[in-house]
Amino acid sequence: MLATETSSQTTTFGARARTLLLSQEGVLLVILVVSVAILSIFSAPFRTVENILNQGRLLTEVGLVALPMTYIIITGGIDLSVGSVFGLSAVVLGYTWDKLGFPLELAIVVALVTSTIAGFVNGWFIVRVGVPPLIMTLATLAFYRGLAEGISQARSARGYPEWFYQLGQREVLGVPTQLWILVIAAIVAGIILARTVFGRSLYAIGNNELGARFSGIPVNRYKLLIYTFSGFMSGLAGYIFVSRVSTTRSDMGTGLELDVIAAVVLGGTSIFGGTGSIAGTMIGVVLIQLLKNGLSLAGMKGDATIVVIGLVLIFAILVNNYIQRRSGAS
Amino acid sequence: MTATSEPVSPAAQPAVLSQITGWLHSMVSSQEAVLAISLIALTVSVSLYETLVLGREAPRFLAERNIADILQGNAYIAVAAIGVSMVIISGNIDISVGSLIGVLATISGLMAVNGFPIWLAWLTPLVIGGLVGAVIGFLVAYLRIPAIVVTLGMLSILQGGLIIMTGGAWIYDIPPEFQLAQQRPLGIPMPVIIMIVLTIGAALWMRYTAYGRAIYAVGGNAEAARLSGISPRATLMRVFIINGVFVGVAAVLFATQFTTIQSTVPPGLELFVITASVVGGVSILGGTGTVVGSTLAAVLLRAINSAMIFFNISPYWLRAVQGILILITVLADLLRRRRQLK
Amino acid sequence: MENILDLQHITKTFPGVKALDDVQFEMRSGEVHALLGENGAGKSTLIKIVSGVYKPDSGEIRLDGKPVSFENPREAQAHGIATIYQELSLYPELTVAENIFMGHAPRNAVGMIDWGMMRRRAEELLASLNIYDMSVTRKVGTMTVGNRQRVEIAKALSLNARILIMDEPTASLTEADVERLFSIVRLLRERGVGIIYISHRLQEVFELADRVTVLRDGRYVGTRQVGQTNEKELITMMVGRTISDMFPKLPSEVGKPVLEVRNLTCRPMVRDVNFRVCGGEIVGLAGLVGSGRSELAQVIFGFTPAEAGEVLLDGKTVQIRNPGQAMKLGIAYVPEDRGTQGLIRQMKVRENISLAILRWLVRGPFVDRRSEKSLAARTIDQLKIRAYSTEQIVNKLSGGNQQKVVVGKWLAAKPRVLIMDEPTRGIDVGAKAEIHRLMSELAQQGLGILMISSELPEILGMSDRVLVMREGTIVDEFTRAEATQEKIVAAMMSESVNNQPAQEIIREGESI
Repeated sequence: MLATETSSQTTTFGARARTLLLSQEGVLLVILVVSVAILSIFSAPFRTVENILNQGRLLTEVGLVALPMTYIIITGGIDLSVGSVFGLSAVVLGYTWDKLGFPLELAIVVALVTSTIAGFVNGWFIVRVGVPPLIMTLATLAFYRGLAEGISQARSARGYPEWFYQLGQREVLGVPTQLWILVIAAIVAGIILARTVFGRSLYAIGNNELGARFSGIPVNRYKLLIYTFSGFMSGLAGYIFVSRVSTTRSDMGTGLELDVIAAVVLGGTSIFGGTGSIAGTMIGVVLIQLLKNGLSLAGMKGDATIVVIGLVLIFAILVNNYIQRRSGAS
Repeated sequence: MTATSEPVSPAAQPAVLSQITGWLHSMVSSQEAVLAISLIALTVSVSLYETLVLGREAPRFLAERNIADILQGNAYIAVAAIGVSMVIISGNIDISVGSLIGVLATISGLMAVNGFPIWLAWLTPLVIGGLVGAVIGFLVAYLRIPAIVVTLGMLSILQGGLIIMTGGAWIYDIPPEFQLAQQRPLGIPMPVIIMIVLTIGAALWMRYTAYGRAIYAVGGNAEAARLSGISPRATLMRVFIINGVFVGVAAVLFATQFTTIQSTVPPGLELFVITASVVGGVSILGGTGTVVGSTLAAVLLRAINSAMIFFNISPYWLRAVQGILILITVLADLLRRRRQLK
Repeated sequence: MENILDLQHITKTFPGVKALDDVQFEMRSGEVHALLGENGAGKSTLIKIVSGVYKPDSGEIRLDGKPVSFENPREAQAHGIATIYQELSLYPELTVAENIFMGHAPRNAVGMIDWGMMRRRAEELLASLNIYDMSVTRKVGTMTVGNRQRVEIAKALSLNARILIMDEPTASLTEADVERLFSIVRLLRERGVGIIYISHRLQEVFELADRVTVLRDGRYVGTRQVGQTNEKELITMMVGRTISDMFPKLPSEVGKPVLEVRNLTCRPMVRDVNFRVCGGEIVGLAGLVGSGRSELAQVIFGFTPAEAGEVLLDGKTVQIRNPGQAMKLGIAYVPEDRGTQGLIRQMKVRENISLAILRWLVRGPFVDRRSEKSLAARTIDQLKIRAYSTEQIVNKLSGGNQQKVVVGKWLAAKPRVLIMDEPTRGIDVGAKAEIHRLMSELAQQGLGILMISSELPEILGMSDRVLVMREGTIVDEFTRAEATQEKIVAAMMSESVNNQPAQEIIREGESI
């Protein structure tokens, strides 16, 4: 009847290391290391520093959006509109600067504010009106993309000043600028999720939202926060993207949700909510980028790699399901 | 097909009049009626705008060519929406239909161009569509992966597959016998005939057969369905396979409308199809809705598109309109369910 | 008369636990046979074997004397066995008629579903159960729980059920619905249907059943004729010991009012409620299901915002708009449904216990794991929670221990006012007594406790004062000395729907 001491004191270091290694994150890390090794051995262009850093540049956009997506999926929700918010942000940036003549700094702020509001709108309808996240973000996927198309009228904006490309195309201390942002953001997001009250609450909400409410957790406030955060990150990613490719078009970000959700799920977050980690998501992001890089180095065209990503997504969920069932979860 | 709301007890005999008004009330408050009325209202307002504001003698909106375009323009979407409606009623979703239409249309076109018998070129998309549906159905029903994720993955697999197949090139020199969609039996465009026939057929199937009702059961309460002797897994497999076949028909209509086949489908095609279903009264939460509704909604969407042109609104805003329509319909459905629970 | 159902030497083992060990059960046609036992005694497993969900490891099932074996629930159904579960299995978007006939709809000559015939047959079925106020073309989702349950019964009849299993059928019914249910059960009994009736409410057993069988720890204890036994004997059979001090409400000093509620309104369930709870007091809140008690608690706790009225703590008016605020002010609410409202079942004991006060267990921005663990260990110790460690997943605990975790979670918040909603529902008698003792101790420490309960013996045994709620408002108040079951029930029902005098509802079998 007395509580025995917690299991962590009685297990050995070896046993703990084994559980860590056998977790989904552990398995992924191993796969990651092995993949890097294989690619490095067999592909000369892969192992150049230039290529590695460039891959880091490319995966930043997906990586940034995957952070709030992890939070959202842990709570049992989903955000399909990230690609459209990404595109909307890019279009707003281009339009306000090009057509309305705003100073570029202001245009950037307006774009970020717009995308944050877009995320907030998602959150508001999901929380206050009770629209299921899948449907709400499916509707806004259409609506925000529609806004982007409507605003841009299929014109593109070009010719940005030099300093604008610092974020997307230059380096700081030898590492691509945007990668610094991603790393810092990921570390902060990871710590918040694992060690704070907010993070623990997200897991509670994902496992039993009603129970979380009755325990005094401000569920509505937290959900609103994470969807708003998702909007902001999608906007930030859009801004970085424009800075990287030097132009603005209304179809940017199409399919972003696929990459992001695949990365999150591959990283061990259950699509049903309640489990997951930022570390796993980041490994997932890197793995997917590696996959794309490897495929393109092997000669597969860019568009065709999405076939593989789709397969990876389905495969990742199957593995996830299997692991969950083995550990006795629902 | 909504339920009536007045009591029918053998003990009391309500006046025939109140029975009729009750039936009328439920008809009018049904989504199908709302759609039909919206269609009429839209037609009337555009026509008035044309005659009163633009000063035309006769509204061009009502010209035979425009009416024909409104009816047949989204016919292939309506046909695809039949299958997708069934999927949504069963409690799932399929966001890969757009890409599947593209792939199947290309396969069909390629067969026609390469000398295969025309009937085979028409039939193959249905078969392959059914097979793809079977794969999706297997992953959803037997491996229990949420449909949103399976079809998200399938969407990209198909999209990539399409690009690999076509290499970005369009298909030209299609034999004229292939143009099913251009045929006009009895003066009515073939797509319209197919749309109406398939809608009626599907509606009857869903209303009067056990398999059809099973879809509603599984979407409404899968556990209860199992206890009623219905196999949710078999039902879902069936639904996804049927969906695949209907998508195949839609692909044939899509492929045969012009003399060339593009290498891509209109972006957001799947969303268009889902919009037709949702606006047509198929609740995204499953268990209710009709294919008649989704067909009406598909036609209405085309009418809106046409009206936008007449009102001189840039067609680039159409997607935004779609999004708003989905939102409004979903909100209305939610509010209705919320009120029910009280 | 031969038994329609006969189970002998039924044994069923699951990994790690022997759910049933050589259990017997028999039933005649035209009989209501109650099945009693603590949680975990094996009742649920037994009826799942009868209804074909499980197959017994050994033993024999006979129907009308002939041995049968069911591979799945469908086969049991085909043999005339139907079950009404607590979570009704209906289709909210479909009509009553279709719900009744789903899976076996009448067809016409061409094999198509005949909707007209389905409607007619549905109406006939309802009429045969004396139900005349239900439209078969109405969507089931728009109906009340009582009506939906009647649809379930009609559904069972449509399958020509000869054996009807009812698992806690009255749990969410209004008193009027309970009476209608009883009359339907009696009607079915007249027709020769055998009914297996599971309920924790002993008074229902005495009112409705002909015989009662008791299981304990997976074993068969005995069967009695209802007319030849009493509550004490049944409890003894269920528990194996006499529980004479089932409600050890210890005396405590009653202080000043800690919680006061004035004109509290939140329509439609809470209307102009006024009452007080003093420190050291246990105030029992009695009322029929649907009278608004849980809703009242949730308004006080801030889960639902009040439309009008005031809440005062220690004499000062406070604003409570969410549970977080309530907690900070010292109000705690142990909810009615511990599984879905009280706990995060997939999380550990430690995580559940700390959940409400996590904000206070921090070091800087981070959760302080060490304080968390020691809090959990202390709580397990103080409340005698039977768990292997603080890291055990709460789902694996028994009902009584889960309830203790919920209580422990809220005690960690150091409340001044504790609202407990059905604190001992679905808990075995031993754990019940422990929770009651805990409540007495808390009262002795000066907490004010508002205890919502649907079990009159619990109300009478544990309360210093009894409040009765009816249709959203407090209609009567009794001191411990004044309160009797008759008075409370009279206040609960008053101009009740069936116009039955209160005495007829209460039987001798459950006098205190």
